[in-house]
Amino acid sequence: MSTTTELISKAEVKRLNKSKYRDTRLAFLMLAPVTIMLGIFVIYPAFQAVYLSFQDWSFYKPPEFVGWRNFTNVLSDPLFFAAIRRGFVFVLMTVPIMLVLAFLFASLVVSVGKKFATTLKVSIYIPTIISGVIASIIFVLIYDYSGGLLNATLANFDVAPIAWIGDPKWALFAIAIPAIWLGMGLTSLIMVAAMVDIPEEFYEAAAMEGANWWQKTLYITIPQMKNVILYLLITGFVASIQQFELPLVMTGGGPLDSTNLPNLFIFNHFRNDITVGYSIAAALLLFVVLGTVSALIFKVLNSEKLVD
Amino acid sequence: MGFNVSRRHFLGAGTGLAAAAVLTACGSGTPGEPAPEETTGTGGETSGGESAAAAVTIQFWHRTFTPVENEWYANIVKQFNESQSEVKVVGTEVPADAWDQKMKSAQAAGKAPDVYTHPGAIQDGVNAGQLRELNDIVPQEALDEIIDAALPVSAVGDKYYAYPLLLEPQTVLFWNKTMLEAAGLDPEVGPETWDELLEMCAAIKPTLGEGQYCIQPAADAPTFAWSTVGQQYNFAGHTALTDDWTAPNVENPEYAALIEGYKALWDNDYMPKQALAAYVAGNDYGEEKVAFKVSGSWMMSEIGSDFPDLLGRTGVGRFPTAAGSDRTTTTLGNFKWVVDAKTANAEAAGKFLAWSIAGDPANLVPFFVNTQFTKVSVRQSVQDAVADDAAAADAPWSDIVTNEIAPDAISEPMYPWDVSLAVGTAMEAGMKGAQPIDVALKTAADTIAQVIERDGLAEKAPN
Repeated sequence: MSTTTELISKAEVKRLNKSKYRDTRLAFLMLAPVTIMLGIFVIYPAFQAVYLSFQDWSFYKPPEFVGWRNFTNVLSDPLFFAAIRRGFVFVLMTVPIMLVLAFLFASLVVSVGKKFATTLKVSIYIPTIISGVIASIIFVLIYDYSGGLLNATLANFDVAPIAWIGDPKWALFAIAIPAIWLGMGLTSLIMVAAMVDIPEEFYEAAAMEGANWWQKTLYITIPQMKNVILYLLITGFVASIQQFELPLVMTGGGPLDSTNLPNLFIFNHFRNDITVGYSIAAALLLFVVLGTVSALIFKVLNSEKLVD
Repeated sequence: MGFNVSRRHFLGAGTGLAAAAVLTACGSGTPGEPAPEETTGTGGETSGGESAAAAVTIQFWHRTFTPVENEWYANIVKQFNESQSEVKVVGTEVPADAWDQKMKSAQAAGKAPDVYTHPGAIQDGVNAGQLRELNDIVPQEALDEIIDAALPVSAVGDKYYAYPLLLEPQTVLFWNKTMLEAAGLDPEVGPETWDELLEMCAAIKPTLGEGQYCIQPAADAPTFAWSTVGQQYNFAGHTALTDDWTAPNVENPEYAALIEGYKALWDNDYMPKQALAAYVAGNDYGEEKVAFKVSGSWMMSEIGSDFPDLLGRTGVGRFPTAAGSDRTTTTLGNFKWVVDAKTANAEAAGKFLAWSIAGDPANLVPFFVNTQFTKVSVRQSVQDAVADDAAAADAPWSDIVTNEIAPDAISEPMYPWDVSLAVGTAMEAGMKGAQPIDVALKTAADTIAQVIERDGLAEKAPN
C-alpha cells in the first residue's frame, strides 16, 4: 500500500483529490432533490407530528399542550392493542405464504425455457400493477354472499353460502387472499433475480456430488438468497402490517373489528375524532412497534456477514 | 400576537402536509370512489364580464346523494349565480365516502370550503370552534322560521350555527306488498311490534326462493351505532349515557332485549349472514331479495328513481317497537348547511345560504318533491308549498313519514361517536353470538366509561 503511494507523484495526488471533490460535489448535487423532498415530506412532518402528539388541536383553535395524555389514551385503549395484535396475525397469514409461493414460482421460472419464463414473469407481475382498490372491489364481488362467484362455485358442491367478509371468523382470511395475490408479483421477480445471480458452478459441483433438488435448494439456493429473503421479509412485514386499502374498501374494518388493522384503526380515528392528537400519538407508537420488529428481524437473521 | 399567527400558520402548513402525505399514501381520494366533481364551474357563465371580475368567489361542498338530490344541488348553485353578480359560488360534489378525509385534509391546511353540508349534532363542531355563528350573516326572520324540532341541530342557546335543509327519520320499515301477500299476510299492514315481525318472518320464510330473505336490517357495528339510537330509546326510555354523562347506561334488560330481537332474526336466518346492500341503499329491496328492508325515509326516493315498478307495491311504516312501548323507534337525521369559522367571506356565504335554503320556498319545492316527499323541511312555509304540489296526492307514504313517524322522533345523540360505536359493537357481537349478550354489553359499558374519562364528558353534558 505504502509503495503504491510513493509511486504517485504529488501532482497526480492533487489531480486525484480535485477529481474526488468534484465527485463529492456531484454526489451532493444528485442527492439534493431527494434530500429536499425527504425534508419537506418526511422529516419536517415527522417532527411536526411529534410536536402535535403532545397537543390537543382541532385545526380551529390554537393547540393546547396536554403532556402525555394522547399517549396514555392510546396505551390504555384495548382497541389499539387489539389492532396491533391483529396486524401481527395478518402478517403471519400473508408473509410466510407469500414468500413460499414466490420461492416456488421463482424456482419454476429459472428452470423453464426463456420464452415460457417470460410469460410466467409477466403473468405473475400483472396483479402488482392492478390498483389495490380495484382488487378490493373485484374480491368483494367474488365474496358476495348472494350471487358471488365463490359461493356460487361452492353451491355446486352443496356447500351453504358463507359470509366471507361478514363473518368475523372468515373476514381476515378473506382479506389475506387478495393481499397475497397483490404482493406475489414483485416478491417473485425479486426472487427470480436473486436465483439467476447464484453462480451455476455451485449447482454443477453439487450435481457431481449427487445432490438432489432439495439438497441444492437447502444448501445452495436459500443460503445464497439470505439477504434477498431478509429484504423481502422486512418489506413484506412492514407492507402487510400497514395494509390499509383492502380492509377499508372491503370491510371498513368489520365485522366486529376483525379486519381493523393498525393503519385503518388510526385512519378511522383521524377521520372521526374532532382533534388529531390521538391519531398522531397512535401513529408514532405504531412507528416504534414497526421499527423495533424490523430491528429484531435484522438482529436475528444477522445479514452483515453475507453483505460483506 | 404576530408570533402566534405565524406559529399557527406554521402548524397548519405542517399538519396539512402531514395529512396530505398520509392521504396521498393511501391513494387518491377515497379508494373505490371517484374524484370530486365541480357541479358548477360557473367561470364565464356569469353575465356581465365586469361584474364577474368583482364577484367574491366562495366554495361550497356537498356530498353525493341520490341523482335527484345531486341535480338539485347543482341547480341551486347555478340559479344563485345567475340571480346576482356579487357572489360567485363554486359547488363541488364530494363522494360521501371521501367526505371525512377530504374535509379533514382541507381543514388541516386551512382550506376548508366556505359553506358545506353537515349531518348530525353540532355541539362538537361548536366546541371545536369549527362553525361560524349565523346570527349576523343570515336574516333573523329566516332563522326564526326554523321549527322547534330542528333547533337542537341548529342552535346552541340563542346562537345559530347551522341552517337545516331537511329532517328525515333514520329508521323506517319498508315492505314488499307482493311478497307479504304471497305469504298470506295482509300487505297493507306492517308489524307493530318485534313479536309481530318475528311471526311475519316465520310466515314469509317458507315462501321465499333461493337468495331471498325476510328482512335486511342494520347488520354491522357502525350502522347499528347510528341507526338504532331510536330503537334503544324505544326499548329503554333512554340512550347510552346517563343524563349527566357521567356513566354508561347500557347494562340493563332493555338493551339486552333489543339485542335478543336481532339475534332471533339472525339465528332463524330471517336476515342474511352478510348484508346484501348498505343500510342507506335500497338495491337489495329493489331487486326483491328481501321482503322487509330497514332504512331511512330517503330510501323511498331511490325506489322511485331506480325501481319505479315497486313504488306502488311498497308499504311504509314505523319500525316495530318493544312490547308495550309507545316511544319512537327512530332518530331524526338531518342535513344542514354551515359556514366555516375560518371563512374570509362570511357575508357572501351567509347570502348564498340565505338565498338558497332560507329564502323563497319555491327554491326548495323541487328538492322535496323529487325526493318523493320522504324528507321534511324545517320551515313551515316550505312544508306548505310542498304539500300543495300536485304530485303530493300520489305519494301516500308522505303522510306516514311526516305525520306518523317524524313527529315524535328524537334527535341524534350529542355524545361522541365512540359511545355510539361501543353500543353498535355490542349489538353486532350479541346478534352474531360472538359474545353472550351480557358480556357484549359489559364490554360496551367499559368502553363507554373509558370514553367518558378520556373526553371529560361529565363536563360536556347538555343542560
